[in-house]
Amino acid sequence: MTPSAGAALSSEGLGFVYPDGTRALTGIDLLVPAGIRLAIVGQNGSGKSTLVRHFNGLLRATEGRVLVGGEEVSRRHVAELAQQVGIAFQNPDRQIFAGSVRSEVAFGPRNLGLRGEELESAVKSALEAVRLGGEGETNPYDLGYSRRKLLTIASVLAMRTPIVVLDEPTTGQDLRGVRTIEGIVATLAAEGRTVIAVSHDLRFVAETFERVVVMRQGTIVLDGTPSEVFAEANWATLRSTNLEPPYAARLGARLGLGSTPTEESLVSALSAGT
Amino acid sequence: MSLRLEGVGYRYAGSATDALIDVDLAIEPGEVVGVCGPNAGGKSTLCLVAGGLAPLTIGGQLRGRVSIDGSATAGAKQYEVAQRVGILFQEPQAQLSDSVPTVWEEVAFGPRNLSLPLDEVVARTWGALEALDIADLCERDPGRLSGGQAQLVALASVLALQPAYLVLDEPTSQLDPEGTRLVAEALARAAAVTGAGILVVEHKTDLLARLCARLAIVEAGRIVKQGTAVTMLGLPELDELGVSPPETVRLRRAVEATGGHWDPSWT
Amino acid sequence: MIVIAVMADLWRGFRPYFIVLTPLVLSIMLINTFLYPGAQSALFNVGPFTATAEGLTAAAQAALRVVAFAASVGVFALSTRTDELVDDLEQRGLGRRASFVISAAIGTVPRMAERAREIVDAQRARGMDTEGGLRGRLRGLLPLAGPLVLGALTDVEQRTMALEARAFAAPGRRTVLREHPDSATQRALRWGLSLLAVALLVLAVGGWLAWLP
Repeated sequence: MTPSAGAALSSEGLGFVYPDGTRALTGIDLLVPAGIRLAIVGQNGSGKSTLVRHFNGLLRATEGRVLVGGEEVSRRHVAELAQQVGIAFQNPDRQIFAGSVRSEVAFGPRNLGLRGEELESAVKSALEAVRLGGEGETNPYDLGYSRRKLLTIASVLAMRTPIVVLDEPTTGQDLRGVRTIEGIVATLAAEGRTVIAVSHDLRFVAETFERVVVMRQGTIVLDGTPSEVFAEANWATLRSTNLEPPYAARLGARLGLGSTPTEESLVSALSAGT
Repeated sequence: MSLRLEGVGYRYAGSATDALIDVDLAIEPGEVVGVCGPNAGGKSTLCLVAGGLAPLTIGGQLRGRVSIDGSATAGAKQYEVAQRVGILFQEPQAQLSDSVPTVWEEVAFGPRNLSLPLDEVVARTWGALEALDIADLCERDPGRLSGGQAQLVALASVLALQPAYLVLDEPTSQLDPEGTRLVAEALARAAAVTGAGILVVEHKTDLLARLCARLAIVEAGRIVKQGTAVTMLGLPELDELGVSPPETVRLRRAVEATGGHWDPSWT
Repeated sequence: MIVIAVMADLWRGFRPYFIVLTPLVLSIMLINTFLYPGAQSALFNVGPFTATAEGLTAAAQAALRVVAFAASVGVFALSTRTDELVDDLEQRGLGRRASFVISAAIGTVPRMAERAREIVDAQRARGMDTEGGLRGRLRGLLPLAGPLVLGALTDVEQRTMALEARAFAAPGRRTVLREHPDSATQRALRWGLSLLAVALLVLAVGGWLAWLP
């Protein structure tokens, strides 16, 4: 299996109600073109994680539908969808089970049918991407939290799915860890794969993703480029869900430079002004 | 009067290498000292040692001297140290006792352990809840709180022992922006209301910049830099040390690097 | 009205026991009544099966035993709050560690279920087939057991440190938060019923109850 190009993903009128009657999602219309870098933001309980669990069939829409690569997911097994959508979940300790870093990473691609040489190279490149190349034989639980987290990301990268979903990838990472994750997103995008991240870290989001979806109480309240979403006109909406616009955006607005959600956009707006 | 580490080294039981080497650090009552540095550099170990858990509870080998207001913790009991130094960890739920039905009883857990008279237990429990402004949570099930709320309850549970010092190991790392804001406000309140000296480990340097007067950078088991927060967070080598500079510093550098002018009033 | 309300409450509490017990009791009754080995006194026939008096007696005995056992568990579960029970045991001298273990164990059960679901989700997302029959399910056990056990152990480690940091190991009896009312009737019933149970046991062992079926 060669690294496949990205796949498109969409939802139409997606709603979800838990069996106990709690409503988690309402009328989610989302169109994610293949190969895009999309971040989903919102405070805890806004429905971000519930939404991404619909992308690989772990949760089934109670209203509307979800399409992956143009095909409806409702009747397909999770194990089958795993060939198209890989999700690295938030808590590494609810996922890691193998006795060594290498066999942990091999679990996913092996389930997808990779063997021998192909499996080895998938595992190797995934481990190198998260800078755990030298830790193949290490017991995962001898790694610290942030490296266990990187391990779960490698476990999903090794599956070489057209769509990669990362749930809170930067939690607990230091500067180097965040840089590593930014590098992974860039590499995936360069390969034409679709990257979706759920994150609280708005600076990371603004600097790394080309599109941002903001959720509040199970609905999408903003959807656009970082420059659109973090524009001053939307701050009230952001703050209504306890999100503070990135500092670069706040400073840009204060200096009347327009919407400057990233360091780069602020610097260029400043130099254009002088 | 201070929580003081002098020439402290520490090695975990069963480990062949030192997790801390020659650490000198002091926290005075009422001051907030920040700690940052790359992961696996010894920040959490520093917290365990300052809180007495290493070696009193988890074993291992301590060198040098850890003292609280002049008296060494070596040979003391953990429950004695607990009344002088409170410690808070990253994971909010994992530090609740998971054994009582309400937040109020969760906070009362510590004072009850000390066999204090009932009215003293009640007074301390309300005192801790009110110090963090969370008395309205008292009837809630501790297992059904948001991450930020659970972290505040964990902090109140520690405050109920009325420690003179607090040690906080990345208290906001598992929280969303709202939870982070709650905890940061609670810390500022706790420092003001209780007068406790606080040691706080954080990656979020913006938060450290707001809370701390002094800062230590820990890497490879050593304190590699120590000084005022403003100086430390402005160090040009911060990136190489694995620490992400506060947003204001980062932007100022980006602007100046392209030959632009940075107006100090922008921070 | 009050009677109806009380009955409705009782029914709601006992319904799960009833649902579990009914098929059990029915099968005990049928099997014993019709298929009791070596029984002589026939009562009536249903097709090729004959109901016997001995069978019916044995059936009633076995069914009553099961119901009595389930009912005692049910009455205990429905009438006792664990936190009150543990409080009370602690006041009667149970150590702080033992009482903590009891209440934490009970508190952990629902969290373990939640954790297990999360782990299975993560493994399915990595292509583990749990929807494909028994073999797939069995293969899925290892990736579940690992994080469940290891996660629980890390949790214990963290919780131990957090509890020690809250003076859990201090000496002496923990402060009692509330005295639980213990009325004269309750005390009398407790002692009376215990004595009755002992008396019945003595009578049964001594063979004085042989006249019972």
